[in-house]
Amino acid sequence: MNEALDVWFASEILVHEASLVRYLARVWPHRDEIHDLRQEVYVKVYEASTKARPKSPKSFLFASARHLITDRLRRSRVVSIEAAGDLEAFNVLIDEISPEKETGARQELKRLAEAFDRLPNRCREVVWLRRVQDFSQKEVAAHMGISEKTVEKQLAKGARLIADYVYGRTSSRIHPRETGTEERSEENVHG
Amino acid sequence: MDSSTKIERTAAGWLARRDANTWSDEDQAELNVWLETAIAHRVAYIRLQSAWQQAGRLKALGAGVPRGQIPSKGQWTLSPFFSHGEAVEESSPPTVSGQAESLSNGVVSGWHRHGAKQLRRPRSKRRGWLKMGLLAVCLLLAVPLGLGLRRYTAVQSTAYSTPMGGTQTVSLDDGSQAVLSSDSSVAAAMSRSERHIDLQQGEAFFEVAKDAQRPFVVAVGDRRVIAVGTRFSVRRNADGLRVVVTEGIVRLETGADMPAQQRVMRLPAGSVALVGKNGVSIQSVPVDKAEEYLSWRSGFVVFRDTSLADAVAEFNRYSAQKLVVNDAQTAAIRVGGHFRLSNTEAFVRLLEQGFSIRPERLGDRIVLHSE
Repeated sequence: MNEALDVWFASEILVHEASLVRYLARVWPHRDEIHDLRQEVYVKVYEASTKARPKSPKSFLFASARHLITDRLRRSRVVSIEAAGDLEAFNVLIDEISPEKETGARQELKRLAEAFDRLPNRCREVVWLRRVQDFSQKEVAAHMGISEKTVEKQLAKGARLIADYVYGRTSSRIHPRETGTEERSEENVHG
Repeated sequence: MDSSTKIERTAAGWLARRDANTWSDEDQAELNVWLETAIAHRVAYIRLQSAWQQAGRLKALGAGVPRGQIPSKGQWTLSPFFSHGEAVEESSPPTVSGQAESLSNGVVSGWHRHGAKQLRRPRSKRRGWLKMGLLAVCLLLAVPLGLGLRRYTAVQSTAYSTPMGGTQTVSLDDGSQAVLSSDSSVAAAMSRSERHIDLQQGEAFFEVAKDAQRPFVVAVGDRRVIAVGTRFSVRRNADGLRVVVTEGIVRLETGADMPAQQRVMRLPAGSVALVGKNGVSIQSVPVDKAEEYLSWRSGFVVFRDTSLADAVAEFNRYSAQKLVVNDAQTAAIRVGGHFRLSNTEAFVRLLEQGFSIRPERLGDRIVLHSE
């Protein structure tokens, strides 16, 4: 048990999940194995970090992913070795992709709200009552007229879906827009 | 079911069980055993737990909602207590740039007001990161995603070109639009991993349909301009290119002949980048100014304190009848205004009247002399 390590792992490693998954998806042709690969990378990183925490967590994460993939490619006869060549090309890019953790708190909240809105209705309701309004699971069950077991199941589902969205988010929904008027109104308010 | 998916579901089950009132010491002991059994268990649990913890931030949005009531979807941006001005008044000084602000409407304003207490601690630090972070997100969007597969997918390319003086709007297969300027040609190849546009000549403006999986790459020789969904134009010059970005962010890759720090550059909206033989110069202008560089799309050209040499070069891109300036003194005259590109004659007349320039007509050329 090492809670400091767990916290570190969440804030320094898991925040890169979206990039990691994109990377894996690019170099590994079998979509259905990405989830397993992701887990394997996490396990390797966590395991190594129990001994000494890497100085540059992100580089370490991607180095681990690369090793894992290279290893798999060597063992696999199906995938052309050229794919491994591309790993080198991707090396450069990893450093240019800025870490998601630098995203502002505002943005995070916005993303959370989006994640929350994407939950299936019942799940969304359970999560809201329990997590936001601090109903107990029992109270949620009574309020919604469902069993406590169902509440628990919905919470488990909610946690999984939110984690997928918070960490493995698809970035396509974030898009900058140019709006001079908003810029100006901000200035006006502050005189 | 994959083993990792199974582990994740089990971890989620533990998390939900632990969240109930009935959680006992025995349960905790049992969970500990499960967590110690495999690092994969632990990692899955950490991941869900910390996401669940983060979900607590939703409380910042729940402040105005009566107990037991579920807010309807998407109400975050509509609710009156998230109104923009009000929220901003309570916040600290406006360190957030206009660009950041436009991204972070609605919910974000609500956060200022309602989330201040919960989020006090990380705020000052995060605020500083905000601008960076947003740019980072944009940059992330602009990163080419198709490296791995490109070489495996052979795609047919479609060529488009315009005659001198003509412009053409082209709808590309991916839903993007290209507006070709006078005397320009491009070849578009849409593969599953990349939307590749080869700008062979002239200039084109692109309105890129969003597709995070397939970057939109405009290649000029070995230089590349990359976007995911944005609006920008690329012009091929004799010795380089010009990129004008009017929305979003694009990534400019200039190639190995450039100084290291100029090989890959991020160009936000309002950037006018000139890539020459010896380097890159980037100018940041307000977006409406940047749009002026693209007024050719409506058949106009805008000059602001532009040298006559540059103005003439601009006209010559659009007309078979070429303007020629032979002496440096005339070339240095500064002109300004809004001109119709198809009407070179009107431009020449204005020069005649306003600057005492004498045009000498020689076949398809008009030589401009200072009196």
